[in-house]
Amino acid sequence: MDPEIIEQYLKIIYKLTEEGGQAKTSDIAAELDVAPASVTEMLHKLSAKGYVKHEPYRGVVLKSKGKKIATKVTRKHRLLERFLTDFIGVKGPTTHQQACKMEHALTDEAEQSLCRMMQHPDKCPDGREIPKCERGISCDKCTSCDVPLSEMREGETAVVSHLISRDNDELCSMLSMGFVPGSEIKIEKRIPMGGPIIINLKGTKVALSRTRGDVLHVIRAG
Amino acid sequence: MEIALAGNPNVGKSMLFSQLTGVGVIASNYPGTTVEYSEAKAKFMGLTLTVVDLPGTYSLAGNSDEERVATRLLTERRSDSVIAVLDATRLERNLVFLFELIEAGYSVVAALNMYDLLRKSKLEVDVPKLERILMMPVIPTVATKGEGVDSLLYTSVQIRRKSGFAVRYDSHIEGMIKELERVIPSEEGGPPVRSVAIRLLMGEQSVIDRASDVAKQLSERFRDEFRRTHGEDIVVHIQRDRFGEAGRIAGEVLGRAATYRTRKSIAKDITLRPATGIPILFGVLALMFVILVFFGGLLEGALVHFYEHTGGVFFHDLGTRAENHLASGILDGISLSIEAMLALVIPYILVFYVMLSVLEDTGYLVRVVSLLDGVMHRLGLHGRAVIPMVVGFGCNVPAILSTRTMGSRRERLILATLITIAVPCSAQTAIIIGAVGKFAGAWWALLIYVILMGMLVVLGLVLHRAIKFEPTGMCIEIPDMRWPSAKQSAIKTYIRLKEFLTIAFPLLLAGSIIIETLLAYGVLQSLLRPAAPFMISVLGLPSIAAVALVFGVLRKEMALQMLMVLSGTGNLALVLSNHQMFVFALVMAIFMPCIAAFAVMLKEFGLKSTVGVAAASMALAIATGAFANLLLKLN
Repeated sequence: MDPEIIEQYLKIIYKLTEEGGQAKTSDIAAELDVAPASVTEMLHKLSAKGYVKHEPYRGVVLKSKGKKIATKVTRKHRLLERFLTDFIGVKGPTTHQQACKMEHALTDEAEQSLCRMMQHPDKCPDGREIPKCERGISCDKCTSCDVPLSEMREGETAVVSHLISRDNDELCSMLSMGFVPGSEIKIEKRIPMGGPIIINLKGTKVALSRTRGDVLHVIRAG
Repeated sequence: MEIALAGNPNVGKSMLFSQLTGVGVIASNYPGTTVEYSEAKAKFMGLTLTVVDLPGTYSLAGNSDEERVATRLLTERRSDSVIAVLDATRLERNLVFLFELIEAGYSVVAALNMYDLLRKSKLEVDVPKLERILMMPVIPTVATKGEGVDSLLYTSVQIRRKSGFAVRYDSHIEGMIKELERVIPSEEGGPPVRSVAIRLLMGEQSVIDRASDVAKQLSERFRDEFRRTHGEDIVVHIQRDRFGEAGRIAGEVLGRAATYRTRKSIAKDITLRPATGIPILFGVLALMFVILVFFGGLLEGALVHFYEHTGGVFFHDLGTRAENHLASGILDGISLSIEAMLALVIPYILVFYVMLSVLEDTGYLVRVVSLLDGVMHRLGLHGRAVIPMVVGFGCNVPAILSTRTMGSRRERLILATLITIAVPCSAQTAIIIGAVGKFAGAWWALLIYVILMGMLVVLGLVLHRAIKFEPTGMCIEIPDMRWPSAKQSAIKTYIRLKEFLTIAFPLLLAGSIIIETLLAYGVLQSLLRPAAPFMISVLGLPSIAAVALVFGVLRKEMALQMLMVLSGTGNLALVLSNHQMFVFALVMAIFMPCIAAFAVMLKEFGLKSTVGVAAASMALAIATGAFANLLLKLN
């Protein structure tokens, strides 16, 4: 299945179930302008993949796996609508159509920057709520000067701004080593060949693999 | 009475433990984990004390196996007193760990360890002030020299009271704690209500499991509420407040806010720079190898000589007197296993373990792990995988066991497969060196190692592609390089050797008895006979080598002896050409080492994966051997 089509369906279901309840096949078909039969077929596929829960004749709801994708796409869609309307003055139904195409190409980083640039809007032009991002930090902390640790160069110093991790164990173990917001760090060495980053944290040397480096977001000193 | 030692990793906790206690250390694995902890008895002022050395952790929150074991040991053993071992040069982070112990309601005495290093950097801790702030005894110690150890023991025996110190969190969190405290029933002898409340807020699974539904729901609601209003997880704020408090106290007692230790920058560390680090690594490995062959050989000679004149004769007599196939088969099996153990396993493994603990204690191994982490990731492994691989050069049984430190089952399976196939164990090394190196020349032996290295890389890449997943990232502290202590290395070696003997020896014994019994009845011979011509034609080996090969699959440690016995001479060059010797050793090196390794894999990974790995190793060994044979014939 084409991921774009999956995203499109999940987004529609998200919109239809936003205020609770279930999405009806006929409503989905109307939104997408396709035949109900092909919607039913698609819903079977989506439910087989664990994205949605589909009960024939009653409707469909998102499961957590599907909801995650749907929230993200919806967020991108509505941010883009906001951008097209407010920043470059696109008017009429094409706003929605263009956003529908662009939302699949927009990277997460671009989405973040877009959100920052527009100063964290909370409603789309139609007045629907823009879902919050997954970063787990407040909007006033979301500044462009913080970078993931992996982007730091050797010899640079920085201050930990926040930690982003979905994994509680990972978060807690890094915190208990002393990577708390506000602590000063220095990049001692980046080991070549994709090796870890060696950080000086108040005199203690810690080797952190590059993938874990993205958990820590820091603000460059000076 | 019982005393527990708790603290961060690399604070000299084990050193203090060996200073406090004498001989007779008992190391155990906590049930269901590979996390080790040791305990020992100590005599002090007419008292017999039990000292428990907990695994080193940064926290007691239960986010890793070590933390869970440390926490469970503390709650289960209910030690009368806990000694918190703190690194005086890293006071801030170590105080945070101490706060957790105090919060959890233990009677704590703090050992301000590595005090000599602090003095060396011209710093001084105002100990009476620290004691007043924390409301508990604090004793400066230098574990490496035994300074302050007596006074530490004296204090922890005499003073057993809980500190009244508590970290104050920000008002929002304190409010939540107050409300939670109201719904948590206080238990006699249980943890303080405040501590349960904080741990519930931090989402600690073991505490949540025990909590009432009301407390569970309330804490869940609070966590959500906090995340909504502050945009950050509550654990981040709790830890930040703890570090803030610790930093403030450290600044106060150190006179100035310097918790920094000025030392040589790690950027200049030559072991971490690939250009110098990799040659050093090869040098260290080569040195280890030479020591292994030399000292292992010496030990082997002595042990085997001793055994042949005592146990060997004894079992042989017993066997001839029994006049029964089954009995003599079993007796032979026992005798051969003991001999194999003495000849190969004990000397080489012992020497190997001594070297391993020295490498660990100096802090070199951590540097190797960091240096190779990136490369290992490409093979689908964590940098830590270096350690089981190095262990695998000694014996695959402990190597497979030590894969338990890896994150996931898939990661473990990849690693175990690589070790069984491409890392030659000491028995395989004996064949490569003892047959090929000795008779055909060193270059042939080296070629086998090169082939095995290539196989390691290719196999790693293939498995990584086939079993798609990302290895978990590492986050480890790199301690300063230091001299190892003889006593600690001895304790470590003793513990590991004991574990090895209790796991591998019974397996080897049972396997040998079965094989010898089958041999006594001639069952194996008739099963193997059809395989021999195949070996001869495909691998180009003479029939005796083929027989030794097939037996070697079952008992690799005896393959070389078997070959010598079958050919009737110790000079293998008379019966095998250089090419044949090479093919023989190559096939042997790739094959799964022995039945003990098979049994351990079975225990760790189940039948399906084990048979799969065994079959793959066999197929790969024969294919490589046949290919090598073909190539050599062409020349």
